[in-house]
Amino acid sequence: MNGAALRRLVRLNVARDRRASVSSVFGVGVGIASLVFFVALGLGVGHVVREKVFPVDTSLVEVVPSQLSLGLLGGKLDQSAVDRLAALPGVKRAYRKMQVRVPAVSVYDGDFFGRRLRMGIEVLAVGVDPDFVRRDVQLGDFSDPGEGQPIPSVAASRLLEIYNKTFAPARGLPQLSHGMVTGFTFPVDWNRSFVAETKPGPVTRSQAQLVGVSDRGLLAGIVIPLEAAVRLNAAAGADATTFTGVALEAVDPSQVPALVEAVKAMGLRVDDQERRLAENAGAAVAITTSAMALLSLLICVLAAFNIAHALSAAVRARERELGVMRAVGASRRDVFRLVMAEATLLGLMGGLGGTLLALAAATGVDMLAARVLPEFPFKPDSFFSLPAWLLTGGVVLGVIAAVAGAFLPARRASAIDPARVLAGQVG
Amino acid sequence: MISARRLSRSYDDGERGQVRVLDAVSLEVQAGEFVAVVGRSGSGKSTLLHVLGGLDTGYSGEVTVAGTALACLGDLALSRFRNEQVGFVFQSFHLVQGLTARDNVALPSFFAAAPPADTLARAQEALERVGLQGKAARLPSQLSGGERQRVAIARALFARPKVLLCDEPTGNLDAATSEQVVALFRELNRGGLTVLAVTHEERLRGAATRVLTLAEGKLQ
Repeated sequence: MNGAALRRLVRLNVARDRRASVSSVFGVGVGIASLVFFVALGLGVGHVVREKVFPVDTSLVEVVPSQLSLGLLGGKLDQSAVDRLAALPGVKRAYRKMQVRVPAVSVYDGDFFGRRLRMGIEVLAVGVDPDFVRRDVQLGDFSDPGEGQPIPSVAASRLLEIYNKTFAPARGLPQLSHGMVTGFTFPVDWNRSFVAETKPGPVTRSQAQLVGVSDRGLLAGIVIPLEAAVRLNAAAGADATTFTGVALEAVDPSQVPALVEAVKAMGLRVDDQERRLAENAGAAVAITTSAMALLSLLICVLAAFNIAHALSAAVRARERELGVMRAVGASRRDVFRLVMAEATLLGLMGGLGGTLLALAAATGVDMLAARVLPEFPFKPDSFFSLPAWLLTGGVVLGVIAAVAGAFLPARRASAIDPARVLAGQVG
Repeated sequence: MISARRLSRSYDDGERGQVRVLDAVSLEVQAGEFVAVVGRSGSGKSTLLHVLGGLDTGYSGEVTVAGTALACLGDLALSRFRNEQVGFVFQSFHLVQGLTARDNVALPSFFAAAPPADTLARAQEALERVGLQGKAARLPSQLSGGERQRVAIARALFARPKVLLCDEPTGNLDAATSEQVVALFRELNRGGLTVLAVTHEERLRGAATRVLTLAEGKLQ
């Protein structure tokens, strides 16, 4: 049977059994729409969790000192330990981290992006090797400028997000972008605290200048150049030789598990709290998405059964017609192709319709969320991720469901005995 | 044109077991003959027609139609045989609802290995041959019983077959229409077409050049 004839007969049959066709297309459409919708939602929320809420760098291993010092076997994170860590197989770079070991506060009283602000907050500062955050630094080269100069500081992207979505609206303060905060300078009093005990000695006042915003920033503090932290600790008489952490950058993420084992073998600990949080949140999203996707797949399976039922009925109703086609030259294969092509068209219509429905529903939900949901940290512009593979997959799956449902009716149709169905009323 | 040797066909009839419908039937029909096969209901007339037309393959014996030995053909070759060598006319017309008269006539071209380039013209010509030139665009539901049967005959003639096989072609028609259809068969036969019709109908019997009687699976 040639393609034009096939198309013609398929169109004719679909149009003729309109009610059954609409029911089949509807079944496939609903299944595909819900599948695409929930998978897109899962992908979208998962993307926010991975990229915004817990922006975990999968190639980084955060090493911290052991809680128990094991003497020669390790536990302390001094320069020799850092050198040994850097020499581990699979390590690309080792970035040292040293917390400023005296409390600090910032007491701000002045113009804050056009608003008057008077506020005091505790400041946690961690010095890092400059290359750790260099790619996010917008101002200067992120090195210690020495005493009396503003200390370059990097804030966390998440901190800015929380400020913008929670703090700023509650205080009537302006929303800030990455670009706006770059260059902002604020005072820091070292060895001063509103809540913690301070070390003996004077309070040192300096300025800190934000030079960038980074995913590698500290959620509850600022990141400063390592040399500045060493200098501040030394000036305060605190430990300025051992590090509070080392971030190991693996050559590629697949080497992280082996690195973790090697670090533990050195008597050091791996701080994977953030990673575990990210994994747990990601797993929760994945489980929810999978459950919804499974439910949607079930709808697709039911749609396939519906198509099987509808086509079986259609084949039974058209037995004589198929017999006539066999009498005028249709082969078994022609009849099989005819029924399968009919199912393909229904599946294509259902798949396309379902995918478009999912797109419309996702757009509708996003619009509703923008209008109804209050602003909250990490609230995305869209809760959905609709990559091309998902849209194509929706259409393809619609066709697969229909074709799977049509297989047995098509086999049955091709096996029709024309002599039997065309037998006249006499023998 | 048609040759059948020791043709037998049995069916499994549940409680009655194997029922032999055709019992070593041998038959020769020359090109250009108009043969009527008569017999009581259940005598195996339709079965004989279906076997000769390549619709029924569960027989034993030898069948050759238009130079083609049917026993050794697979489904594809048998389908091509039906498409090119024989035309069927059934008692119940069996037109495809939803297709116009012209498209019903051209139905064999849908399944042809090489559809003729002049499909529409050929369908129109076949309709003219049966006197329905003005009704090409009508749907089966818009035609009378006689007109539907004439569309079915035009469909059987579309591929210019060598043999026309008719299964009670006047069984569902009134007397006047029946007469017209019989006249049409006579005319087609005069034009050189070999016609084999199984029938009860006296008029059709009268039009045949030879009448064979099938009784209890045997030709007499």
